[in-house]
Amino acid sequence: MTTNEKIKKKLEKFLEKKNLSSIKVSVEDRIVTIAGLADTWDDVVQIGHYAGSLKGVRGIVNNTKSRDITERKDEAQSFFRDSGIRMKLPGKTDVVIIGAGVIGCFVARELSRYNLDVVVVEKESDVACGATKANNGQIHTGVGEKSGTLKKELCAEAWPLYQKIAEDLDVPYEKNGLLILLTEESLPQWVPSFLSRIILTYIVPYFVAHRGKSVGDTPRVVNRKELLQMEPHITKRAVKAILMPGYGVTCPYKITIALAENAVENGVTFVLDTEVLDIMVENDAVRKVATSRGDISCRTVINAAGVYADVIAGMAGAREYTIHPRKGSILLFDKTEGYLTHQVSELRFPQDPHTKGGGVLETVDGNMLWGPTAVEVSDREDTSVSKSELETMVEKYHPAVPEFPLNSVITYFAGVRAATYTEDFVIGPSRVRGFIHAAGIQSPGLTAAPVIAKRVVDILRKSGVPLKEKEGFNPVRKAPPVFKELSAEEKTELIKKNSRYGHIVCRCEQVTEAEIVNAIHGSIPAVTMDAVKRRTRAGMGRCQGGFCGPRVAEILSREQGLPLERVTKKGGGSYIVASKTKVVS
Amino acid sequence: MNVDIVVIGGGPAGLAAALSAYRAGAQQVVILERDFELGGILPQCIHDGFGNFVFGEMLTGPEYAQRYIEEIEKTGISVMLNSMVVDLDSDKKVTVVNPEEGVVTMKAKAVILAMGCRERTRSQILIPGERPSGIYTAGVAQRFINMEGLLPGKKVVVLGSGDVGLIMARRFSLEGGDVEGVYEILPRAGGLTRNVVQCLEDYGIPLHVSHTIVDIKGKERVEGVTVAQVDERFKPVPGTERYIPCDTVLLSVGLIPENELSRKATIEMDLTTGGPVVDESMETSVPGIFACGNVVHVHDLVDDVSQAAEVAGKGAAACVKGTVERRDTVVSVKKGRNVSYVVPQIIRGHPKEDIVFYLRVKEIEKNVKVIISSQGEVVKEKKERIVKPPEMVKVQMEKAVLENVNEELHFDVIRLGE
Ligand SMILES: Cc1cc2nc3c(=O)[nH]c(=O)nc-3n(C[C@H](O)[C@H](O)[C@H](O)COP(=O)(O)OP(=O)(O)OC[C@H]3O[C@@H](n4cnc5c(N)ncnc54)[C@H](O)[C@@H]3O)c2cc1C
Ligand SMILES: Cc1cc2nc3c(=O)[nH]c(=O)nc-3n(C[C@H](O)[C@H](O)[C@H](O)COP(=O)(O)OP(=O)(O)OC[C@H]3O[C@@H](n4cnc5c(N)ncnc54)[C@H](O)[C@@H]3O)c2cc1C
Repeated sequence: MTTNEKIKKKLEKFLEKKNLSSIKVSVEDRIVTIAGLADTWDDVVQIGHYAGSLKGVRGIVNNTKSRDITERKDEAQSFFRDSGIRMKLPGKTDVVIIGAGVIGCFVARELSRYNLDVVVVEKESDVACGATKANNGQIHTGVGEKSGTLKKELCAEAWPLYQKIAEDLDVPYEKNGLLILLTEESLPQWVPSFLSRIILTYIVPYFVAHRGKSVGDTPRVVNRKELLQMEPHITKRAVKAILMPGYGVTCPYKITIALAENAVENGVTFVLDTEVLDIMVENDAVRKVATSRGDISCRTVINAAGVYADVIAGMAGAREYTIHPRKGSILLFDKTEGYLTHQVSELRFPQDPHTKGGGVLETVDGNMLWGPTAVEVSDREDTSVSKSELETMVEKYHPAVPEFPLNSVITYFAGVRAATYTEDFVIGPSRVRGFIHAAGIQSPGLTAAPVIAKRVVDILRKSGVPLKEKEGFNPVRKAPPVFKELSAEEKTELIKKNSRYGHIVCRCEQVTEAEIVNAIHGSIPAVTMDAVKRRTRAGMGRCQGGFCGPRVAEILSREQGLPLERVTKKGGGSYIVASKTKVVS
Repeated sequence: MNVDIVVIGGGPAGLAAALSAYRAGAQQVVILERDFELGGILPQCIHDGFGNFVFGEMLTGPEYAQRYIEEIEKTGISVMLNSMVVDLDSDKKVTVVNPEEGVVTMKAKAVILAMGCRERTRSQILIPGERPSGIYTAGVAQRFINMEGLLPGKKVVVLGSGDVGLIMARRFSLEGGDVEGVYEILPRAGGLTRNVVQCLEDYGIPLHVSHTIVDIKGKERVEGVTVAQVDERFKPVPGTERYIPCDTVLLSVGLIPENELSRKATIEMDLTTGGPVVDESMETSVPGIFACGNVVHVHDLVDDVSQAAEVAGKGAAACVKGTVERRDTVVSVKKGRNVSYVVPQIIRGHPKEDIVFYLRVKEIEKNVKVIISSQGEVVKEKKERIVKPPEMVKVQMEKAVLENVNEELHFDVIRLGE
C-alpha cells in the first residue's frame, strides 16, 4: 500500500467508528482532503486533528461542514473598506506579499535588502490588525513546543536574534526570563503525595531544564526560598521553579509597525485598505493578483494572510491545508511596574497541548497581562471575549499571583490563531510556481517571524528569483520621540520647538498632541483611533479613551481634513459619531 | 517657582477652594487646569439643576461655573490653562506641563487637590462580547453632543442609571435618538429621584432594574446587545435573555475619583470612597496637601462640592499662615449600621466652627435616624424620612457638640422604632 492509501484507510476507519462514514476522504501527494457533513463544529475540528496526527501527512484540507454552523466564510468575499486613505496601487511588481501582520512585514523588510519591487497588500487600514495585535508579546524559546516541529526549530533559532532586532528597530524588548512554577497542584490529585514530592523535586525540574538546553537556553533550577525572594508576589504554593533566562517580551504591534516603516524606507510599497480577491495563475505559475482596487501583475506571491491563508491559497489553486481558527483571549490590568520581574507560568499536568504558552507577565509597558485561552471557533473573525473565558482566565492565572487585585482590569481582547490540522507552520513553495506559503503561523509565530522571513527569502532564491543586495539598505529605524519617557529638560526643549508637545491629550498615558500628529503623518499613516492608539498609547490607559477619545477623533479629523463623522475606531463601519445634532448648542 | 498655594484642577472644587483661600488671606494662589477653559465637567452640563443651595436658583452648569470664574477674575488669583500636572510629591513639589513654558516645577506651601473623577468603563465591569465602536461612557457622549454638536448614535441602550446616564437618555431623546431603555443591575435606580422622573418617566423611557447586559455584538459598530435579568447575587438568570438591536451602548456605571497624583504623593486613601482620607479642614495624610470635590468622594450635587471646597481653601490658607492647632489625639470617624462611608474620616483640630459630615448609606431605608455617638454616648441625632445610596446625607455638627468628642465618633443609621 502506498502512503496515500494507508492514510486514507486509517482515516476512513476512524470515521466509521464515529458513525460518520458519509464523510469522504481523498489523499493526493500526502495531502488529505475531507468533505461532508458532521454534527458539530467540534466534530469537524476533531476529524481534522485526527487526520493531522496521522504519520506521513503533509497537509489537511478539511472541507467538512457542520450542522450547528450555518454560515462559514470559506470562500473569498468582499471586505472592502474605505477609510479614506488613498494609496496608489502599482500595476506591476516583482513580489506581492498578502497580509501585513508581523509575518508579512518581516518578510517585506527582509526582501527590502534586495533590488526587488515589493508590494504588501493588506485589507485593513493599518498593519498589525490580525493576530499580531492581540497576542502575549512573548518571545518564547521553543521549550514548550513538540520536538520535531518546525515551530520548535524556528523558535529556537529566532529568540537569540531579538536583542539586535529590537535595537535596530528601536522597539521595546526585555529579556526578563520565564519562571516555570512547580506547585502542589502541578501533578494530578491521584498521584500519592510522597511520589509527587519526588517527581516535583527531582524529576520534573531536570526534565524541563533539559528541554530548555535543547533550545539553546541556560535553564536554572530555583529553590522555593530563592524563588520567593525573587518574586515576592507569587503563590506560596510554589515548591520549585525552573528559570528560563532566554524568555523575553516585546510589543507585537510596535515591532510590526517599525518593520513596515523600515521596509518603506528601503523601498517597499504598502497598499492598505485593499483586499486580495483573486490570484490569476497561468501554466501553473502566478501571473496576477486581483485586489479591490485593481490588478497587480507579479511573478511571486507570498501568502501571509493569517487566518485567511487557506482561502488565499485556494484562490491560487494551492489549497494544501485548512485553517481552523483558535481564539485566545487576554486579560490586561492597570500598570503594576515591577509586581513581577519575570514571566510566570505554572506547570500543570496533564498539559493542554494547544496552550502551553501564556501565563502571567508584565508587558513592556508595565501592565499585568494574563492569558491566553484557547477556544476553537468556526468564525475566523470571532474576537469576542465570553463570560466563560473571563472566568477561565481568572481561575487559571490568579492562583499564580493570588494577591493581585482583580478590580484593576483595564481591558480584555482576543486574537485568533491560524492553526492548521497538522498544528505546525507551513512554510514553503506550493504546487503553483511563484506562490509561497507562510501559513499556519500560530504561536510562537511572533517569535519565529524573523527566521520565517529568512526562510521565505531562501525559497525565493532557490526558485530562481534574482536577489541582488541593494546599496544603501538601512536596517535602522528610529522611533518618534515618546514625551513621557524624556527628562524635564528634553521635554521643555521639544515643547519650545513644537508647542504641541506641551499639550497632553491622553492623561492616563501622558500622550501629547504632537505624538498623535506624528503618528497620523507617519510613513504608515495612522488613520483610525485604534491605529493612533497602537502607535502612541493614547486611549490605552485606565480610562480607556474616556477622556482623550473625543480629542483624538478631533485631531484625526483635522489632520486628515475629514469630517468627524468619517473618523472610525478601526476602519470600515466603525464610525465614532453618527451625525450632527439637530440643535447645535 | 515658589508659591503659597497651588490648586490642581479648575472645576467647581478648585474654583471655590482657590477663592476661599484667597479670601482667607493667602497671597499667591495658582490654579492649574489642563483644559483650555475653567469649570471642570460643568461646561458640558447644559441642563439646569446646579446652584439650588449656593445661589438659591437653578442654573445650568456653564452658568454656575461662570459665577465663580467672574469672582476669580476680580482677585489676584493666577490661572494657568492648558497646564497638566504630571507629578506631585509629598514635599509639595508640583510638576506641570504646558505649551508655553514646557515643564515647570513649583514649590508650594500648600496644595489643594481638585482633580475630579473619571468614569468607570466597560472593561471594569467585565461586559463580555465583541469590541466595536459605539460603546461610550455617558460623560463622553455628553461631551460629543453638548460641546461638539455631534450625535454619537441613533438607537441607544443605556446601562446603569447614574445621574449622567439618566440625563443623557433624555438628551438623546431630545436629539431624535431612540433610547430603547435603561438597564440597571441593582434593584433600584442609581441616580437622583428627580432625574428618574424628569429624564425617563417624562420621556417614556423604561427603566429595567435588576437587569444587565450579558453580550455585545458587532464587529465594526455596535449591532446589538443581549440583556438579561439578574438574581440577588447579580448572576444573569438563564432564559431571561433578550436581544436588542442598537448602534450605541451608553454606560453610566459609576465614577472613580482621579487620584493618580495623590498616590504619587503617597497620600493615604480610603478604599470605600476611592479618595484620600481627609480631616475636618480637608487636609490629607500628607501635611499641607488638601483635597476637595469629586477627588475625595463622588458628589451628586455641585453645591456640596463648592461648600466642601471652601473648607479646604480656608484650611490651606491657615496652613500657609501657620495658624493650625492640633488636638493631642486624633478623633477617628467610624461607620456603623447602614453606613457605606463618612467624610471627613478624621478630626485633628480643636473645633473652631461647625463641621459638615457627608455620608452615604448602603441600603434604602425609610424613617430613619442618623445617630452619632462618641464613647458610648449619643452626641447628635438627625431624622431622615428616607435615605438612599444615590443621595448623600449631610449632617452638620455644631462646634459646641464637637468640644465633647474624644477619640471616636460613630455614625449609625437606625430605623425609627428600633
Ligand atoms: C491570543 C494569542 C496569543 C499569542 N501569543 C504569542 C506569543 O506570546 N508569542 C508568539 O511568538 N506568538 C504568539 N501568538 C502567535 C502570533 O500572534 C501569530 O503567530 C502572529 O501574529 C501571526 O502573524 P501573521 O502575520 O501570520 O498573521 P496576522 O497578524 O493575522 O496577519 C495576517 C494579515 O493578513 C490580512 N489578510 C487576510 N486576508 C487578506 C486578503 N484577502 N487581502 C489582504 N489582506 C488580507 C489580515 O487582515 C491580517 O492583517 C499568539 C497568538 C494569539 C492569537
Ligand atoms: C453629566 C453630569 C451631570 C451633573 N448634573 C448635576 C446637576 O444637575 N446638579 C448638580 O448640582 N451637580 C451635577 N453634577 C455633579 C457636579 O458637576 C460635580 O460633582 C462637580 O463638577 C465636581 O467638581 P470637581 O471640581 O470636583 O470636579 P470636575 O468638575 O471634574 O473638575 C476637575 C478639574 O480638574 C482638572 N484636572 C484633573 N486632573 C488635572 C491635572 N493633573 N492637572 C490639571 N488639571 C487637572 C480637570 O480638567 C477638571 O477641569 C453633574 C455631573 C455630571 C458629570
